Amino acid sequence: MAAKPTFSQEISNLLYASKGNPLKTCIQCGTCSGTCPVAEFMDQTPRRLIGMINANLKEDVLACNTYWFCASCYHCTARCPSKIDIAEVMYAVKRYSIWHKTYSEDLVGPTFSETFVRTIVNSGRSFEPVLAPTYMFSMGIKEVLQEAYMGTQMMLKGRMPVLPTKIKRLDNFKEMIRRIIPVGGGK
Amino acid sequence: MTQTRLLIIDDDPDYVDGIKSILEKADYEVDVAYNPKDGFKALETGKYDLLLLDIMMGRGAEGVMVARKINKDPVLRETPVLIITGVREQIAFLFPGQPVHPRFLPTDELLEKPVDPNLLLEKVEALLKEAKAKKAE
Repeated sequence: MAAKPTFSQEISNLLYASKGNPLKTCIQCGTCSGTCPVAEFMDQTPRRLIGMINANLKEDVLACNTYWFCASCYHCTARCPSKIDIAEVMYAVKRYSIWHKTYSEDLVGPTFSETFVRTIVNSGRSFEPVLAPTYMFSMGIKEVLQEAYMGTQMMLKGRMPVLPTKIKRLDNFKEMIRRIIPVGGGK
Repeated sequence: MTQTRLLIIDDDPDYVDGIKSILEKADYEVDVAYNPKDGFKALETGKYDLLLLDIMMGRGAEGVMVARKINKDPVLRETPVLIITGVREQIAFLFPGQPVHPRFLPTDELLEKPVDPNLLLEKVEALLKEAKAKKAE
């Protein structure tokens, strides 16, 4: 009978199928933080986040913005000397936060992810005019106008479709998704 | 008669504590695995009469993978599976109005989190009875 897992074990469980080494092999060298392009916007660097997970500081880990700011560029994963899949760790903590609903209401990330997955599942393609409102209203009025201007320009130049487009053989794709995610309606 | 043995595969320790205490009070012997890998290994020992399976684990819907693996194994598929999931509540896969996949496995039942204790016990009992009747055939 397995003992009740600690927070760091819970995160490891969320990672179990990923290819990287376990978090415990982290040597705290800071290569991930040094290489991270968005580290300056995070309130804890990736190195510290891994240290905090290993120390089971659950509340502190979940309260920081590090994993939501991760741009998924995978630089840290590529450069980690201990071969830890750090970007995957960020995703794991995101999943933990979404599944346990520990994120704050005004956060853009979860709504954005949901809308993104929904548009992909429905049409096979992402559609910016639907995605943009999920984060646009958290910005200032100037940025919103800028974004709207940019969108209109792109539409006029034919860089962005006015109506959402669908992929060919959408039914096949949807069937594939149903095999992976239990979204219902599958045969 | 030996005690009926149940296995829970769920990655949420607090939730497991809850349903485990409900089941233990009803005189079942309960084992827990906190990730799908350990869970499947435990199941392969073949000493469980029923499996309670969570869906959203690991890198996504890994419970579905476990369910499929069980279904492929001629011995393991005899074990009744009760799926307990909050899948509809999980934000990335929230599709209101759509039914949850009705059947992952031929023998399964599906309960949605949060589970009513009496309903849980009812379903567990019904599944065990069904499995026993099948064995007796």
